[in-house]
Amino acid sequence: MIRVRGLRKDYPGGPRALDGIDLDVGRGEFVALIGSSGAGKSTLLRCLNGLVAPTAGQVWIGDRLVTGASAEARRHIRAGIGFVFQQFNLLRRLTVLENALVGRLAHVSRWRSLAGWFGSDEVARAEAALARVGLEGVAARRVDTLSGGQQQRVAIARALLQAPAVILADEPMASLDPALAHTVMELLRRINREDGITVIASLHVLDLAQAYGRRIVGLSRGRVVHDGPPDSLDAAATTRIFGAAAAGSGAGAPA
Amino acid sequence: MSRRGRWAGWIALAAVFVWSALSTEVSLGRTIEGLPFMWDFIRRMVPPDPSVLGNALRGAIQTVQIAIVGTGVAAVLALPLGFAAARNSSPAWLFYGARSLLNVFRAVDTLVYALFFVAAVGLGPFPGVLAVVVYTTTVLAKLYSEAIEAIEPGPVEAVRATGATQLQVLRWGVVPQLVPQFLSFTLYRFETNVRAAAILGFVGAGGIGFYVQTYLRLLNYPAAASALLVLIALVMIIDFASSRIRARLV
Repeated sequence: MIRVRGLRKDYPGGPRALDGIDLDVGRGEFVALIGSSGAGKSTLLRCLNGLVAPTAGQVWIGDRLVTGASAEARRHIRAGIGFVFQQFNLLRRLTVLENALVGRLAHVSRWRSLAGWFGSDEVARAEAALARVGLEGVAARRVDTLSGGQQQRVAIARALLQAPAVILADEPMASLDPALAHTVMELLRRINREDGITVIASLHVLDLAQAYGRRIVGLSRGRVVHDGPPDSLDAAATTRIFGAAAAGSGAGAPA
Repeated sequence: MSRRGRWAGWIALAAVFVWSALSTEVSLGRTIEGLPFMWDFIRRMVPPDPSVLGNALRGAIQTVQIAIVGTGVAAVLALPLGFAAARNSSPAWLFYGARSLLNVFRAVDTLVYALFFVAAVGLGPFPGVLAVVVYTTTVLAKLYSEAIEAIEPGPVEAVRATGATQLQVLRWGVVPQLVPQFLSFTLYRFETNVRAAAILGFVGAGGIGFYVQTYLRLLNYPAAASALLVLIALVMIIDFASSRIRARLV
């Protein structure tokens, strides 16, 4: 499903964000991507859907090469990949329904979408997606009147409406309190199981990664330093990923 | 800044203030001597002359019309200028060019433009409209450009991530962030322009100011009072309505 080879990313004037990533993710996998902040998790996810152009290396989504593809080709690839952001990244002044419908932009007539006219079947589809993430009866409300947990579910509905093969989630629960974090992760797990959508979620909290990831990939300084099932994450692996300071705290959240 | 430097700054400020007060012949004694004349001026205005209300209302409506057309045209002209003058939507040469142009034209106020346009196209409301257009365009372009620079990149990236086209990203990621603010700024300028247009008549550029000034010049104080009362009511109504609408926009 996803194949990454020799991926490198240098930001001008900054440190090397990705330093030779090789990774294969199969269809329907649920991968928890862990590492301390600055390890390269966000950059890796953004290279997967072409939001960030890598310095070197290749990314395939299915049989399509993302890296080096034309802007138009990358746009088509992105249409099949949902992206869930830490800060939700919703349009604050728009309604819940309008925010969800943004996920349909690549599927509907361009000119109609510019006029804001999606048609009743698209609206019904969006309402169904909102119901699926547990948001019924709020479609007409301005999205910034919702709580943080509800807003992240709108963002997940937006991703679902792309009818994606893959959902990438960049620290989807980092702006939420722990109880809500579980709701959001639970929702991603259900989508993964019921729809067979491949999910890669970056997390900085170890216990969430172990609870939800069926495979844990650890990044440190832009390299993959661990890759295996949740129970393979022992003290040595934790040290490789988070450094010696975090190893003693076991499954807690490293600072 | 050092302690000594700060003291020097305060002393310099005080010196400039005193120097300016002396140069402008500020005098408490003359203010007190003037009080009876102020009272006399106000007394002559009472009671206001209701027979000129028709003229005053016609002038007031024309003032609002000047503000409407002037602000409307300026809002359209300010759009491209606003994008040109925003650091994040414009190449450096255009950005600096547009910023400098706006700063030059904004340095002069509406009333001065009115003098210029009255000389150019003659008396009446039209030079007033032109004056409002020129000044308001520069102010709105500046406000628009600041709103464009303050745009949140996150939602824009999110719309891009759905596979949307450039135009769709603009329509769904950028426009929803800007339009309510643009409308709010434009309404705010409209409020200010009603006040500005009210005195444009003093230099022959139409509106209620023409009547206020004419009656004062004819020493017809009760008529001037009627015109002034209409002006005050007009400004209050516009401010109230406009701020109510603006509160709902943001």
